[in-house]
Amino acid sequence: MSVQRLQKLQGHIVSASKSAAMAGPSSPLTTHVLNTAMGVPGSNMALSLSRQDPSTAAWSLITTGTTNADGRCPGLLTREMFTVGVYRMRFETAQYWESLGETCFYPYVEIVFTINDPSQKFHVPLLLSRFSYSTYRGS
Amino acid sequence: MCSFIVLIPSVRIYNVNSHENKENALNEKVSASGSSPLTTHVLNSGDGVPAARLALSLHRLDSNLLIWNLLTVGTTNEDGRCPGLISSEAFTAGMYKLRFETGAYWERLGRTSFYPYVEVVFTISEPQQRFHVPLLLSRFSYSTYRGS
Repeated sequence: MSVQRLQKLQGHIVSASKSAAMAGPSSPLTTHVLNTAMGVPGSNMALSLSRQDPSTAAWSLITTGTTNADGRCPGLLTREMFTVGVYRMRFETAQYWESLGETCFYPYVEIVFTINDPSQKFHVPLLLSRFSYSTYRGS
Repeated sequence: MCSFIVLIPSVRIYNVNSHENKENALNEKVSASGSSPLTTHVLNSGDGVPAARLALSLHRLDSNLLIWNLLTVGTTNEDGRCPGLISSEAFTAGMYKLRFETGAYWERLGRTSFYPYVEVVFTISEPQQRFHVPLLLSRFSYSTYRGS
């Protein structure tokens, strides 16, 4: 195969990846949405990550995304962006259940958490049904 | 055979009710007709105890202005409960938010925690029902569910 042909192929493979992979090493902050009512990953759920400005208390949007078939959303942010602070993950839960033809008690779920040591990895999952949810700090 | 019908003057019933309400002075939201249609219960699942003296607040979303209106501020009692959150009259259909000051709670116990506060936002479509929105809380996890 010619070098040009190989380069074209490589270019196709790279561009076919989600922008997540472009972030290089995996995100120090990950999430995982599980539909505990149905025993499946919570896929195709819209979510967003924001950080709070410590002086103004205003929230700035860092990234938006949608969970994949496994209920995950790789590439939330890079290590460089992951600074000490208060973060908020927002999950569009009612929208998710609506797409499954169901209602949900929670129009959305916002999980606000404090990162004091951004050198660690943090896993902020959401276990969700129509009438309950839970979260924990994982690794 | 005679049947006896005991008549209790309605004035007496009214007086009994008003005494009860005066005893519930702190629970001004509790109407004479019964307890709050919305209740909560905060449990410290890390220590296996009720989360006592945890500050919380109830808000309702103004659907026109899209701002949160503060309805009630309270603190959980020794059993982790906070009676009198809202009266049946005030409990209209809409979007509500219960905010729990979890960070302050753990701080008072001399511990850190992952969550500076917890906000649970829920939709009430049928306000004639009773809703129980508890919070099971540890330093690094929490869960909630719709109870009755």
